[in-house]
Amino acid sequence: MRPRHVVVGGVSEALAVHLGWSTRVVRLVIIALAVAGGGGVLLYLWLWAFVPLEEQGADAVAPDPSMVDAAAVRRRAPVAALLVAVAAVSAAIAFGSLATAEGTASLALLGVTAAGGLAVAWSLYFDRHDPGRSPRYGTGIRIAAGALLFVAGAVALASRPSAVNAVIGVGLVVLAVAVVVAPRVVTLWTELMRERSARVREEQRAEIAAHLHDSVLQTLALIQNRAGASSEVARIARAQERELRDWLFAADEPVAADLATELRRVAASIELDFAARIDVVSAGVPDGLASAGTASAPLLAAAREAMLNAARHAGGDVSVYIESLPASTDVFVRDRGPGVDLRALPADRLGIRESIVGRMMRAGGTATVRPGAGGVGTEVHLRLEVDRD
Amino acid sequence: MIEVLIVDDHSIFRSGLRSDLDASLSVVAEAASVDEAVELIAQHRPRVVLLDVHLPGGAGGGGAEVIRRSSALLGEVTFLALSVSDSAEDVVGVIRAGARGYITKGSSGAEVSRAVAAVAGGDAVFSPRLAGFVLDAFGAVAGEQAETSDELDRLSAREREVMRLIARGYSYREVATELFISVKTVESHVSAVLRKLQLSSRHELTAWALERKLL
Repeated sequence: MRPRHVVVGGVSEALAVHLGWSTRVVRLVIIALAVAGGGGVLLYLWLWAFVPLEEQGADAVAPDPSMVDAAAVRRRAPVAALLVAVAAVSAAIAFGSLATAEGTASLALLGVTAAGGLAVAWSLYFDRHDPGRSPRYGTGIRIAAGALLFVAGAVALASRPSAVNAVIGVGLVVLAVAVVVAPRVVTLWTELMRERSARVREEQRAEIAAHLHDSVLQTLALIQNRAGASSEVARIARAQERELRDWLFAADEPVAADLATELRRVAASIELDFAARIDVVSAGVPDGLASAGTASAPLLAAAREAMLNAARHAGGDVSVYIESLPASTDVFVRDRGPGVDLRALPADRLGIRESIVGRMMRAGGTATVRPGAGGVGTEVHLRLEVDRD
Repeated sequence: MIEVLIVDDHSIFRSGLRSDLDASLSVVAEAASVDEAVELIAQHRPRVVLLDVHLPGGAGGGGAEVIRRSSALLGEVTFLALSVSDSAEDVVGVIRAGARGYITKGSSGAEVSRAVAAVAGGDAVFSPRLAGFVLDAFGAVAGEQAETSDELDRLSAREREVMRLIARGYSYREVATELFISVKTVESHVSAVLRKLQLSSRHELTAWALERKLL
């Protein structure tokens, strides 16, 4: 496994860990092999290509919160700058030997080409994703490399137009132009790719959603239909349906955690525990009190208690209606059970008295518990007004 | 005896529903696609069509397309939409095309039968969810509806009351008791709201529908 914070490629460190040697020894061996015939370079590149990167997470706990990109590989050695320096030295050698030794000059020009090109490639493919390297550094590298290539090419063309020099010269000029254009091309290309894959994902998702909608959701509805509204099977099917629906259409809906969303979640979890079917309906402005997390906490808790009571003592169909206005929020919870008589309740039954009425009063709201219309069931009405100060 | 035609592309669902329906209803035919449905409706002219919202065939318009293509028969044939969910996306398209109400597929046979009888008698079938949507769409909660002068674009105070009670889970009978009016009056309010929902060009409603490609 190659670590993520490395000097160049992390190969030596990885190898050291793997073999149990010290990193320094590994580095010396590789350098020795490289000097003695170039085997070390090949070995290094080969290992670089095939040894996987370390899993993120081991050291992803970045102490600095500004390092958003914990997954990025950070390289300590300024390889691109070194490559530019190599190119510059090669260029100097080439200029010095153009008049005297043509073979050396051509070789040095090749060196300029290779080192300059590599510097640009390095800055485009590695440094751009390295949070430790500023974009300005990258631009500097590319400008320097481009200028070197261009000057070397021009000089090679202008000096003594032998066939080899001419070819290298033209190649260098073309490369110089390419260096200038490359970042834009690379950006466009990555963007195109990203867009395309996003679109493909979106299409796939829509297709899956359509298919599931036509098959699985229908079947779940049928199961509920055949099993009876508040039977165990129907409740499971209903919970499954809701989960699937949330997953399928999650992208369409805002993720704002408003009161209605919260209550729907509460309803879903209550349905799992009790033989009840809870319908949550909401109307009104979404950005009223209902969205203010802390202010509506008592309301949410009281509504939860009321829903729990309804599911536990009445069961069957329970209706919840949330109406949010800019100035107030009303929540109605109604069931069709045997009903409760507040006065007949023993004093130690804390559910309604404390968790609903008391809680709402402490929060500055009101709670009314009364028999439902026509004397059937119970309706709890919670009301909380927004403080305007 | 109310004649019913069932339109749904799932044969299991059709047969399940058929066997669950009340004895007072007789299923005259079943259709599985838009084209088949349009043809059979014209041929049988049933009193009520139980219409799935999502249907294959035709121009891809599903249940709403069936209603539009059968619009010449709307006086004689009533449409009750069947939807796998009661989300507004599913329902409002068919309602605006002309359905007299909708019911979710999770409803029991008895509930479906009751709804069929209601629409056959000229009433609208409103669920709490749809009532909540109406209150939102007409801006009836925030009380901003005074600006519009068109009668179609606003709910009367009474209609608003009725919608709020339905959203709270009240049946028509319970709404009537609560407001000290007759069930018949409640039904006429609901029908009026349904008509407004179908005909209103309130911009929130049309914008909402356009956004979801329902128009």
